[in-house]
Amino acid sequence: MALRNIRIYGDEILKKKCRPVQMMTPRTKLLIRDMLDTMYDANGVGLAAPQVGILKRIVVIDVSEAEDDSGSEGAAENTAENMDTAANADKKESGAPANQGGPYVLINPEILETAGEQTGQEGCLSLPGQAGNVTRPEYVKVKALDENMNEIIVEGRGLLARAICHECDHLEGIMYVEKVEGDLFDVTDEAEEE
Amino acid sequence: MTKPVNLREIALGMMMEITEEEAYSHVVLRETLEKYQYLEKRDRAFLTRVVEGTLEHMIQIDYIIEQFSNVPVYNMKPLIRNLLRLSVYQLKYMDSVPDSAVCNEAVKLAQKKGFYNLKGFVNGVLRNTARRLSQVRYPDQEQEPLHYLSVKYSFPIWMLNKWAAQFGYEATEKMCRDSHMTRGTTVRCNLAKASKEEIVRDLMSQGITVKQHPYLDYALEISDYNYIGAVSAFRKGWIQVQDVSSMLVAEIAAVNWGDYCIDVCAAPGGKSLHIADKLMGSGYVEARDISERKVQLMQENIERTGAINIRAMRMDATVPDENSRGKADIVLADVPCSGLGVIRKKQDIKYKMSEKQQQDIIRLQRQILYNVQDYVRPGGTLIYSTCTIGADENQYNLKWFLENFPFRLETIDPYICDELKSRTTAGGYIQLLPGVNQSDGFFIARLRRTG
Repeated sequence: MALRNIRIYGDEILKKKCRPVQMMTPRTKLLIRDMLDTMYDANGVGLAAPQVGILKRIVVIDVSEAEDDSGSEGAAENTAENMDTAANADKKESGAPANQGGPYVLINPEILETAGEQTGQEGCLSLPGQAGNVTRPEYVKVKALDENMNEIIVEGRGLLARAICHECDHLEGIMYVEKVEGDLFDVTDEAEEE
Repeated sequence: MTKPVNLREIALGMMMEITEEEAYSHVVLRETLEKYQYLEKRDRAFLTRVVEGTLEHMIQIDYIIEQFSNVPVYNMKPLIRNLLRLSVYQLKYMDSVPDSAVCNEAVKLAQKKGFYNLKGFVNGVLRNTARRLSQVRYPDQEQEPLHYLSVKYSFPIWMLNKWAAQFGYEATEKMCRDSHMTRGTTVRCNLAKASKEEIVRDLMSQGITVKQHPYLDYALEISDYNYIGAVSAFRKGWIQVQDVSSMLVAEIAAVNWGDYCIDVCAAPGGKSLHIADKLMGSGYVEARDISERKVQLMQENIERTGAINIRAMRMDATVPDENSRGKADIVLADVPCSGLGVIRKKQDIKYKMSEKQQQDIIRLQRQILYNVQDYVRPGGTLIYSTCTIGADENQYNLKWFLENFPFRLETIDPYICDELKSRTTAGGYIQLLPGVNQSDGFFIARLRRTG
């Protein structure tokens, strides 16, 4: 596991537009792995390559643990099936979350469709300890390449939709603070306390 | 992007503090809401509702959980036990939350908190509860009357046993039921500042519902306001939030012009201010309390009402104060108590109090009485009061006190309305019962020093 330094708001690199990935290389593979490690380590749900100082169109997202009710119809079915025994639950679990909350690796993502609206709190690993209210689409459909450069389509609602928009903005050099309604506020990091 | 705040995780943290670490629910809630000030009103309301509601119905919730779990609640991991409680509360009492969301969130939270192996258990218990909640069989009132009350209203059996023996089954049920009722806030008109008519008009102009309280002319019950700090009559010091039972203390103390009064456990200061009001600016009231924070709070209250014949000071009632010996015309001993009369306002009291703890409290009460009776001048008055129900902290303390000190009980009938008069009030004390009387549970005795 290798952790990379997360660039903090104010860093010029966060304002730059990223370049598309042309081909998968060992370096890029390593970058993706490090991005995931860095995201989990920082207790985040999404991270874009420019946040670790690389101007490539790559984002990683994993909302599987943080996801709210709204976007988890799939998860509901999943848990409904394995209600009776714990052993059963374990078996199902190994395969299930990969397609629900993540992790997702999106290379050269392109938002195809959005629908609805949600307003809620949003925070960024590049601006620790702060958050603000941002309005995003409730539903997002995105086309991207996965880490093997195969085309994938991901549809997300609720938190996943929010995370996709937030991370794709980073690739354009946009921080959520530009979209905040009202003031930013200080937040306490739960993870720090535990 | 960072992880969004997980409301259920915050609620779980609060429950852990309250049920496993002996913290007071109202303090934990206040501190948590202060910390998460930035949350939206809706989210704050959810947190308050789910934590207060779970505490309010906790015995019933545990009963339901045990219908669907092979493991008794007390044998579960504390975190799992509280997670299930919060979830069952949402299933039973919060129609706005879909059952599937309750179950999914609980399973995820269990995993996040490091109980991966208990995911299936949490899921199984909650899904079964969701499906078969309406088929749960509760104890039968005919066959197990006390167990029935205990599960229906979430009161511990030992408490019900005591109450049923002292007040009868019917009054006990009324008290239990009352603890789940929401009522308006009782306020005292500060008549030194404005007339009752002015105050009522001012309140109504803000859209607040005002009702006259039957026991005292200057007591009003107000409802339909958001936050007391925004009520203009409150900000002007025209009204003071105080239960009518506590107002009766100043009535029963029956102050005379120029009296020197010591309130030995005064915070938050309602009774002291009331007496200062009744003294019409004459005499002097010393509002003492043990904690600096509470003394400051009282000072703020005093300043808001503009009373000049009262001072808040920090003093521990368990330490004798030589300088006060034989000086006071009136001593108020509103002693720390088990608080069983105010369960409606502080739900966790019913789980935290035990017979053993009550014994410790009684010792403290007697120690305070022992010290402060000394401050009463010969012929002066001592008012003993508690916000609890039951003979142990009330009548039995009184009996002990009369056997050991030169005091006698004095009738309180001249100071109370006809509705409250009884044999005991003629004898010198009153036990108010919530749900039977229109007040909190409260006890007041009037004693005169004979030598």
